[in-house]
Amino acid sequence: MPDVKLEGLRKSYGDIKAADGLDLEVKDGEYLCVLGPTGAGKTTLLRMISGLLAPDEGKILFDGKECTDLEVEERKAALLSQTYALFPQLTVEENIMFGLDIRGADEKIKEQVLISMLDLVRLSGRSDAYPRELSGGMQQRTALARALASGADLLLLDEPLRALDARLRISLRTELRSLVKTLKMTAIHVTHDQDEALVMADRVAVIREGRILQIGTPKEVWDRPATPFVANFVGQSNFFTGEVLQSSPYTLIRTPEGTVLKGRPSELRPGSTAVLGVKIGNTDISKERKGYLKAKVERIIFEGRNLHVDLMTDNGQRLSSKVPSWRKGKIAPGDLVDIYWEESKGTVFPMPPNGLENELKVE
Amino acid sequence: MDSLITVISRKRFRTGWTAFIILFFLFFVILPTVYILSYALTDWGSIEKFVLNDPAMLDLIIDSIIASFEIAGIVTVIDILVGLPMAWMMVRKEFRGKALLDTLIDMPLAVPTAALGFSSAIFFAVTPESLAAPSFALNAVSSPFLLIVLLHVVFSYPYMVRSLSAILVQIDQTYETAGRTLGASALSAARTITLPLFRAGLVTGIILCFARSLSETGGTMIALATMANPGSFATGPTLIGDWKDNLEINPDLAAPLAFVSILLILLSLVLLVVIKLVIMKVHLPMGRIWPRPERLFSRGWFPKTKDGLAVFFLVVFVLIPSFFIFTYVVSVEPSSFDWGPFAESLMFSFLVAGVVTVIDIALGVPLALYIAKNRTGKLPEVLDVLVNVPLIVPTAALGYSLGVFWTGQNLIPTYDVLLIILAHVAFTYPLVVRNVAGAVEEVDPAYEETARTLGAKPVQAFRRVLYPMIKSSILAGAIMAFTRSLGETGATQAVVASAQTAPVYIVKLIKQTVPDYYTAGLACIVLIMVSFAFMLALRYITNRRSR
Repeated sequence: MPDVKLEGLRKSYGDIKAADGLDLEVKDGEYLCVLGPTGAGKTTLLRMISGLLAPDEGKILFDGKECTDLEVEERKAALLSQTYALFPQLTVEENIMFGLDIRGADEKIKEQVLISMLDLVRLSGRSDAYPRELSGGMQQRTALARALASGADLLLLDEPLRALDARLRISLRTELRSLVKTLKMTAIHVTHDQDEALVMADRVAVIREGRILQIGTPKEVWDRPATPFVANFVGQSNFFTGEVLQSSPYTLIRTPEGTVLKGRPSELRPGSTAVLGVKIGNTDISKERKGYLKAKVERIIFEGRNLHVDLMTDNGQRLSSKVPSWRKGKIAPGDLVDIYWEESKGTVFPMPPNGLENELKVE
Repeated sequence: MDSLITVISRKRFRTGWTAFIILFFLFFVILPTVYILSYALTDWGSIEKFVLNDPAMLDLIIDSIIASFEIAGIVTVIDILVGLPMAWMMVRKEFRGKALLDTLIDMPLAVPTAALGFSSAIFFAVTPESLAAPSFALNAVSSPFLLIVLLHVVFSYPYMVRSLSAILVQIDQTYETAGRTLGASALSAARTITLPLFRAGLVTGIILCFARSLSETGGTMIALATMANPGSFATGPTLIGDWKDNLEINPDLAAPLAFVSILLILLSLVLLVVIKLVIMKVHLPMGRIWPRPERLFSRGWFPKTKDGLAVFFLVVFVLIPSFFIFTYVVSVEPSSFDWGPFAESLMFSFLVAGVVTVIDIALGVPLALYIAKNRTGKLPEVLDVLVNVPLIVPTAALGYSLGVFWTGQNLIPTYDVLLIILAHVAFTYPLVVRNVAGAVEEVDPAYEETARTLGAKPVQAFRRVLYPMIKSSILAGAIMAFTRSLGETGATQAVVASAQTAPVYIVKLIKQTVPDYYTAGLACIVLIMVSFAFMLALRYITNRRSR
């Protein structure tokens, strides 16, 4: 089972940089999710690792051995595409056996692998079916079995759950992960769905414009985002800008209106401009308690378990808050509320060089 | 086997193979096709001497070229007018006998034009006594120009109907439905919403019909020879055919031959570009609506009459002329005939068509793969445009050009068979390439890519994954190439005057001093039957594919 290392991968299409110096290490047996918006270079990354696309610059190493120029079929890195690409003219069994057939494996081995694979993905009864006769979930499992049976050590998953309906997508998350873990494979899973990444990954790498912004466990990425973009892309955040007054034991920021806000300790110099980000789920509202600032409730959207509350401050800044549904009836549009958060939930960033708005843009 | 796969999977081998395929295409298909253009540079003197300074010759050439283009233009307009209602009916309506009608429309596609020419001329034209046409033949057309227009409509009509219905099937009917729920009558909706989306199909249809009409030689020659008083009427391709026949006796014809070929090649290529630009760029005032008359025409007698006329036209102007030959052979006094030479020529035609098809597949499929898989590159884009050139250039001009190229180069031994095969490869190769490239583009590249990440070498990925998906398109392309080669007269005659393929043999039977109409008729029927069998096979394959 390999560990994968990427060193300074670059790839551009004309002016567009799909990979702009990618460095990444994936540990042996790890399930890594690469999370990013559409056009961030996720698919390019997978295609370079699989060998379908040659990088302009940089190195790819499997188990420390360079294989940047190795042919696709020699990398033992099976790709599972969005559409599964099950060969329509072959049955489930023939699809699963494709990799072994190509290598001319021994009949006995083939039979053993087939039985164990069908068993593993619970398709024993459907081995003679053609892909078009299967449900979305079955197709997905067949494609997975085919990739696993090919003898690949590394599994590259390109939005593997995208084509499924919402409920199935959620139930297959855990199933897919546990299958990969059972077989002790290394997996790189690309997605634009933050929930999927957080639930499935050992570690999450957030990618944008061909660059990796942050890599860490789901909890690290959620609680301690490295940039305002990460804070907003992985769970929506409210942002405030202002001047740093102090940076420990907690950070104090003064907004242009003179309001003073609290966040976690940082290394920012007093006097510099900073951005404070608070997840909307951590932004609480109250009519009784005094908060950092006041805002008017504009709209309340019922989302089942939670209420999504849109707010407007005196100076016209739009904010959002997520509160439990049982509070419905206690707040109404037009109410004036106080906004507050625990200081440990506020993350402080230096002002991004291109301004906050550019930083948050999802193209 | 395994070591072979390993060898041909090497990057260096793959690059070499691609280069070989592209060079073959450029050197064996494109260059010979347009080689004659260089004659204008190297032998301008002889063109001046034998053509430009000979007013009678110049007039003859100009007249025949103009006739060719006029005929092609009129034929194309007729095809649009009558092809559109037919295409509409075939795609949008369900009725009994639709499958049969669908087969009937395709019939003239497969039948060699030489047979069609003889059959149509007996039906339409005023024919000489010695022919003894059946008394129920129309026996009405005495203008050679009109006869050729009618003949060309017969075999180009299916191309127009096919191109238009291919696009119509793809146009989402919900646009029109939306228009109708917003209050438009059926006719207004169809005219203002669907028709403007038609351009691509119209361009394909117009180019195909125009090129086929411009290129047609065998049927035109036969029709002119069959009618009572053709006078000195000639089209560009028939001039080439006639002159090439006499080139050995009269070497001075080389310059006029080159001149006609150059004109045909240049004008057809220019026209291709012009048609494309005009149709894609010009905006017709389609938006204007006349609610009342259009509402009136949308129901009642008008749509029914329109469909009725479409079917009437198909029967009287396409089907009856195509198959009138059968009634002729039955009604005419049987005379003695000798099967030997025709059987021989038919065998020869099959041999040529077979070899041509094998070459087309072996070297055309790789080029199609290269073009379809590298859409973004400059070179494949250029190749994709070049592939159309031999389809547009009139085959007689192509054949003459190719003959001059190979006999002048002394690079290969110039056996007649070899020259004929090379000429037929030149104009059938694009059929295979376009068919297969179209099919490959339809296939999601993820299939082959996934196969490779599962451990398949490029050759294995092609054979095990892509090939089964495009197999039927390859076969369809092969059958098209085969029937096209089997039916070709113009290129064959122009490359080797004494060639003895089946269509050329039939042309000669009728053009000889004492025409042997009866044998020609029987030979036509055999050709029609053989081609028809191939067409049924083609339909069977393509229908199975669409399922």
